[in-house]
Amino acid sequence: MNDANPIVTEADLHAYADGQLPESARARVEAFLADNPDEAAAIAGWQAQNGAIRSLFADYERARDTDPLLVTPPHTVSPRTKRWAVAAAALLVFALGAVSGHYGPALLEKPALQLAGSDTLPKQAETAFMVYAAEVRHPVEVFADEEAHLAAWLGKRLAIENLKIPTLQPLGFKLVGGRLLPVDGRPGAMFMYENQAGERLTVMVGRNTENRTTSFRFASSGNLETFYWIDGELGYAVTGEISRETLRAVAEECYRQFPS
Amino acid sequence: MKTPAPETFEGQILALLPSLRRYSRSLTRSDADGEDLLQDCVEKILTRRGQWRGLNLRGWVLTIMTNLYRNGRRGRTRDGLVELDAAEDMAAPEPPADPLERARLNDALNSLSEEHRAVLMLVVIEGYTYGEVAAALDIPIGTVMSRLSRARRRVAEQLKADNIITLRRPK
Repeated sequence: MNDANPIVTEADLHAYADGQLPESARARVEAFLADNPDEAAAIAGWQAQNGAIRSLFADYERARDTDPLLVTPPHTVSPRTKRWAVAAAALLVFALGAVSGHYGPALLEKPALQLAGSDTLPKQAETAFMVYAAEVRHPVEVFADEEAHLAAWLGKRLAIENLKIPTLQPLGFKLVGGRLLPVDGRPGAMFMYENQAGERLTVMVGRNTENRTTSFRFASSGNLETFYWIDGELGYAVTGEISRETLRAVAEECYRQFPS
Repeated sequence: MKTPAPETFEGQILALLPSLRRYSRSLTRSDADGEDLLQDCVEKILTRRGQWRGLNLRGWVLTIMTNLYRNGRRGRTRDGLVELDAAEDMAAPEPPADPLERARLNDALNSLSEEHRAVLMLVVIEGYTYGEVAAALDIPIGTVMSRLSRARRRVAEQLKADNIITLRRPK
């Protein structure tokens, strides 16, 4: 520091660079900088850095179609779903198939889903998709022509009574078939669907060992989108290289059709 | 999809999401991590809405997000996603700087600790005053200044041109 400006501190220099210096201190700092080109250069560098950082992240300041999903929590409980939740609690209904999907007309009106951070589920779903969806001849172990067998077999392996394979025909996706695969180290099921254009998506179901429930979440990795949720004893993930809107519609449909 | 009314709590959060997305991405190492942090934060504020005192919602949310990031994020980075992903649904209204320079800046920021990065981003991205940063992070202002200084010097150091190593093919 220069003797002539003994009271200029480094904090002042940062404040100057950030435009946070009080007006009263400005002249003092500017006089100091006139005598100290190194400090002046440092400030110019910090300001350039600020600009570069802002520019680097500026594009992220935008809304996404799925934003309302993020903030439309299961906490806004309608009277109907509240009744459902109370009934569920009273009966300790975690058993699958005990209550049909009747009560939850829309995904977000289903009750009492809470935060969890199960990160392994989307990751596993992405991996399964990448491995199997690329397979032309052997994408599944059991093809859709044996759907009843497929449902019975996977239901048995996952210990799900009456496992129903979701029908996604109205959304343009036909069942290709399914396979057994490990999910969190336990038997899980994967169903694959395909549309007319040959685009595939997978629906993965695994046993949830963590004894908790999550709201509906999504994860993306490259072009791959995954919607996932945990509902009582089961975790679900819907994965595809298709638009998030379409995938969301598929996820909602699955959520509706799977017993809860 | 139901959109909450603007005057509701959810509606106010929804309006904040774009800028929260920018801030969460500025703290994290990849688009996926940024979205994860954003999701975790939103879930947390929805469950803690009763704790909001009705003033400065944005500041309250930023504090919660920053604390989530500082406390819980270590080691949670998804593997293989440390580069700045080009999110496919994002246009680029900003003048595209040299992609190499952007990548280097990204790497330099990724070399910062969470504590240093949070201070830098609150000041640079959110325009917080030093006093606001101190209050948000619950640290003395002197600590804010020393972290800011170290963060800036470290980034500048990493960006120095002579840190570029030119690769040569062996003859």
